[in-house]
Amino acid sequence: MTALSIRGLACHVEHTTLFPAVNIEAAPGEVLAIYSTMNVRHVLMAMLAGSMPIHQGEIRIGEYAPSDSKRDSRLIGFMRLDEGLYERLTVKENFSFYRDIYGSSVALEEVLRMLKLDQKANHKLVKLTSSEKRRVQYGRLLLQNSELLVFEEPDQNVDIETKLVFHGLVRSLSAKDKMVLILTGSMETALSTTSRVCRLDEKGLHVFDIQEKSERDAEPLNGFSAGRTSLELDRERTISDIHNLGISEMEVGLSQQTIAQEIVHAAADEPAASLNVDNASTSAPNRSETEESNIGEESVFGSFRFEKIPTRVNDKIILFNPPEIDYIESSEGQSNLYVNGEMYASTFKINELEVRLQSCGFFRCHRSYLVNLQKVKEVITYTRNSYSLVLDDQSRTHVPLSKTKMAELKEMMGLK
Amino acid sequence: MTFSTKRVTAIFVKDFKDMSRNMFVSATLVLPLLMAIIYSRTGTLSIDMIYLIINMTFSFVGAFIQSSLIAEEKEKNTLRGLMLSPASTLEIFFGKSLLSLIVTLVLTAGSILLLGYSPANVPVISVALVLSAVFYVGLGTLIGLITKSVMEASVAILPAVGVFTFGSLLTLLFDKYPFLKVAEYLPNLQLIELASAVERGESWGEGWPKLLVIFAWIVAVYLVTTYVYKKRRMDD
Repeated sequence: MTALSIRGLACHVEHTTLFPAVNIEAAPGEVLAIYSTMNVRHVLMAMLAGSMPIHQGEIRIGEYAPSDSKRDSRLIGFMRLDEGLYERLTVKENFSFYRDIYGSSVALEEVLRMLKLDQKANHKLVKLTSSEKRRVQYGRLLLQNSELLVFEEPDQNVDIETKLVFHGLVRSLSAKDKMVLILTGSMETALSTTSRVCRLDEKGLHVFDIQEKSERDAEPLNGFSAGRTSLELDRERTISDIHNLGISEMEVGLSQQTIAQEIVHAAADEPAASLNVDNASTSAPNRSETEESNIGEESVFGSFRFEKIPTRVNDKIILFNPPEIDYIESSEGQSNLYVNGEMYASTFKINELEVRLQSCGFFRCHRSYLVNLQKVKEVITYTRNSYSLVLDDQSRTHVPLSKTKMAELKEMMGLK
Repeated sequence: MTFSTKRVTAIFVKDFKDMSRNMFVSATLVLPLLMAIIYSRTGTLSIDMIYLIINMTFSFVGAFIQSSLIAEEKEKNTLRGLMLSPASTLEIFFGKSLLSLIVTLVLTAGSILLLGYSPANVPVISVALVLSAVFYVGLGTLIGLITKSVMEASVAILPAVGVFTFGSLLTLLFDKYPFLKVAEYLPNLQLIELASAVERGESWGEGWPKLLVIFAWIVAVYLVTTYVYKKRRMDD
């Protein structure tokens, strides 16, 4: 029994591919977040609502196609970001209207209490804050009491209280065997509400593998570290290959160090550890060699390559797409990402980032600088031995370029 | 889908509450009554004057309220949610039309009382008035569907008000410009002619073709409305 099943669904609009054929399956009681751009989100919603024809692939909500006229409207409910409400009516009047329209048997008081709106029940919506209005919209969906609930940007621009209400709501819906689908452009929203997050874009569907605290408690740590042990054993075997590939031993040592760190993290039950630091060390060159040992890790890390770079701001983890990053600076063993003039601390060492970002057009221009070559606008020569890269950002940042790297860069550009 | 009275009632009650708190609409409701009071002070009124007020009530109340009810749902993005609900399109429009119709009939009765008009044949006139009200509500639905916001609807309603309220003044030009005689078939002019025929004490045989013309207008306006609704939905 699946609540939602999408098979081979693809969408191409004029010259662009919004998303290639993707498959999504979700069972009742599951909470799934799809992280995508606004375009993809709107298309997906229109397809789910049956207002847009599906040319390739199919969607099944329960047993029905979205455009099936026999489909019960109680099967799927939407909360759109721009959804309107009857502002001149009170909260309670709005709710009782929706209750009658949907012919639902949900008790109004329960919904009001759940949404923390009982104090405001007799207030007109015009007098409510936008966060409270959003809660009224959640209420509309609760009253509809559908099997599949689709939320578009559920906690965009809302206060903390509303966010908490929403999280509680999702939990209780999931407990009631309803399927919740969250469509958002904010990774934070996706990650904070569910452990099943995927990204949908022109490259397809990427499932993010996220370990939740409770799951990890249950999972024996042995399996986790067993993967490490085999990796370390493997290191003995691969070390010569690594030498051949021109990766210094020091670097391997570094990754070993982070592994040790990570195990500590895992033991301390840091949620951050789930955004595997290890990816860098097992990536590219020695990948084929470690493949076998990776099988043990598969369950932990999944088979995809995590392309985004996580950074830490206070307790939160923010992810950046490599092309967004201007440059990375290392100071006192800490690497900092610069994105649009803002600095973010990364959990990785600059060497790890270099390996990881090599394929994304990043260049180690200096011992403590890693620059996104796409952002470089100019190369300035001060003296024979002193160079600087000028970036194409707002403040035209200068990034130092060391002499040895200058030669390498010239070679890369095809200059002699 | 079955036609559910419960959902129609829900829409009716919701719109009634909403409208009663909408200053923009309720201010419009007072206008015909005010006109009726002013005119009733001027002494005895001709049938033409009385029907000018009645037609004004129809277009300002029936057509305007209906159009703004629909246009507002579109403007505030609530119509889409309503369309996705179990309520069928027929139920949605029926609930709204019912409200406009009742308000129109109440206000028409009110202005008739204020004007002190007592028709010679009450049943015939009542039937004609109810039919006219149905026509104007249909017209309002049409305008509501074409426009996207209340503001737009209140502008779009003006030509309709012009034709259907002050159209009766066209009769004065009939002698000078004979081609204007086509306007005789406008529902408001038919209503006036019917009323004057009744006042002259003419028989039922004289009246029913006029009721038929009004009925034809109703059919026409609802056909166009259905067509526009279907076309608009394709565009979305």
